[in-house]
Amino acid sequence: MKRTWRFWVALWAGKIITKGLLVVGKKGTTLPGKIANLIDPEIMRHLSVAYSNGIIMITGTNGKTTTANLLASIIRESGEAFAFNQAGANLVTGITGAMIQDTRWNGCSRASLALLEVDEATVPKFCNQVSPTLAIVTNFFRDQLDRYGELDTTVRMVRESLPKATVLMLNADDPLVAQFGSDHAQVIYYGVERTPDSQSESQETREARFCPVCGTELDYSLFHYGQLGIYNCSGCVFHRPNPEILAQNVRMEEGLILFQEGVASFSLSLQGYYNLYNALAALTAARQLGINNSLIERGLRGFIPQAGRMERFYLPEGEITLTLVKNPTGFDQVIQTMLGVTKPLRILIGINDLAADGRDISWLWDVNFERLGGYEASINQVICTGLRAEDIALRLKYAGVSVEKLVIEHTLAEALERLQAGRTEEEVAFILPTYTLLFPLRELLESCQQNSGLSRPKDKVAEEGTH
Amino acid sequence: MKFNICHLYPDLLDLYGDRGNILALEARCRWRGIEPVVQKASLGEDLDFMGMDILFIGGGSDREQGLLVQDLMRREKELRVAIEKGLVVLAICGGYQMLGKYYQMASGEKIQGLGIIDIWTIAGEKRLIGNVVVEIDGRTLVGFENHSGKTYLGEGVMPLGKVLFGHGNNGDDQDEGVRYHNVFGSYLHGPLLPKNPHFADLLLGLAILRRGEDLRLSELDDQLEELAHEVMVKKLLK
Repeated sequence: MKRTWRFWVALWAGKIITKGLLVVGKKGTTLPGKIANLIDPEIMRHLSVAYSNGIIMITGTNGKTTTANLLASIIRESGEAFAFNQAGANLVTGITGAMIQDTRWNGCSRASLALLEVDEATVPKFCNQVSPTLAIVTNFFRDQLDRYGELDTTVRMVRESLPKATVLMLNADDPLVAQFGSDHAQVIYYGVERTPDSQSESQETREARFCPVCGTELDYSLFHYGQLGIYNCSGCVFHRPNPEILAQNVRMEEGLILFQEGVASFSLSLQGYYNLYNALAALTAARQLGINNSLIERGLRGFIPQAGRMERFYLPEGEITLTLVKNPTGFDQVIQTMLGVTKPLRILIGINDLAADGRDISWLWDVNFERLGGYEASINQVICTGLRAEDIALRLKYAGVSVEKLVIEHTLAEALERLQAGRTEEEVAFILPTYTLLFPLRELLESCQQNSGLSRPKDKVAEEGTH
Repeated sequence: MKFNICHLYPDLLDLYGDRGNILALEARCRWRGIEPVVQKASLGEDLDFMGMDILFIGGGSDREQGLLVQDLMRREKELRVAIEKGLVVLAICGGYQMLGKYYQMASGEKIQGLGIIDIWTIAGEKRLIGNVVVEIDGRTLVGFENHSGKTYLGEGVMPLGKVLFGHGNNGDDQDEGVRYHNVFGSYLHGPLLPKNPHFADLLLGLAILRRGEDLRLSELDDQLEELAHEVMVKKLLK
């Protein structure tokens, strides 16, 4: 399709606003993207044609940002330039803004490759204009249902909008994702043989107990986490596909996740086995791009955790781990990680119910907080903050955490102070906010860290985060 | 004393944290020295409606709901008899719709319901989503609704309460939910019972009365429950 005058006006307007924002000291892709789309609703299509080496799309419920960042880290090792929508700006406006930033005034892109994280609900709009060369689908979990309607609808929308020519990279262990492969020409599956946490019985929230093809209950020989595992259907031929990219010999050593894929060994300085899937997805895409194993290994190993994904801060009263919580499966994984530390815990949980957090907070009752209640003795204090502080406190009461240990504190600075007050050396502290509380808390933690002079150089954090 | 709670199809109907209702009933029994026994009933499982104290039916996604209307149809007579004899039922969202005569889809096709209560549901064009406050017997219920079906009550059928904030049954007539004998149908997720302890205790009290036990529910310390309730009422009705 030919670029029209609308495109040029939209592009230049977007670029002028981007520059303008920089002048006043702000970074932003959303506003330029919004204005550009108002002027030319087809601008994504016109921008996308410039990427001659292709466009990689990453979508799914959890792990989009981490997967995109892991893949970015690998591609940087290979030296190739790419356009990238960082910081989770994964709606039409943010995606457009990122491409505008990468596009010159004359309409040529700087990079010939684009790496784009796309929100599940945005996939139809995105794929209507852009035909990705590769698409990674990470998983489907219950996430902010009030924004999308029910999970089935989301899955169907994504599936129906993926172009036929796109090479799909699918998580074989998630039946909701694996089903996409049955009627698609080019598919590569990735999966996990087993992790030390894999079990033959699951207690967690499961989305897909039933075969997505025929509706019969699925038989699992192994659960990795959530509905991810090794499954087959007794009612039809649907089963977990054999992954071309399979993680084997998975283990945790000194805070690193180690695994083997084929003959190569990899390490990842992230916690939680859900991050293994993110690494595998990135690895699968990197192979498709023709990047060799040693560059992939370096890219994964050198990855520095994103803002608020198991990020560590060093304060005078002791270290704090900050991690975003946004849905039951993710929260269950965080609980698993916290209890895995086997030390007394001090926890700050922040729950907001703004649009970006999800207006409906009933998902808190799908989180298996009963596991925390089961380890009541090792929970020393839980500070509850955010617009829905009372709700999370109540949830914990019904999970078996004694009311004396629960504190409701709406002011963030004071909540942080309560978390650290009288903290002993032995105690481990976690801060678990929903999306709109993540950045205010992170700023607070960064300023505390700076004032105390304990901040460490970024590249050292990854190494020292391993003890 | 043992208290029998039946959670119908928890493997199919467990959207929006509705299992919190079971957690609340269990805890409020336990705190009073009553021993809760929860039956998680799957498709095809034997059900003794007369032996239950409370039956809970949640909501599910459309696909899953279709599967179980068929299963429930087989037990429709026994369920109807138990309900006429005072069985306490809490039915939320999809479970609530199923108790009615039918669900009419956008295509005009009607999915048969159990027809136990004279209510019916028609697919609406936009989803009714958001926080809700309902007035019931001079008190309030708070919750969160998320449904596209609009439910209407037949002549003389009593709603559960009046909507003070939000949409309720259909967004038109200010009604929310239904009350029929000891059956309570509602669109309120949240989940409903934890933040509305007076309503949870109403169900428990009715169930104990039905058993003919001479037992008054002891008072619990509901400060946290009431705080969580009040925060929402104040925020929404300001």
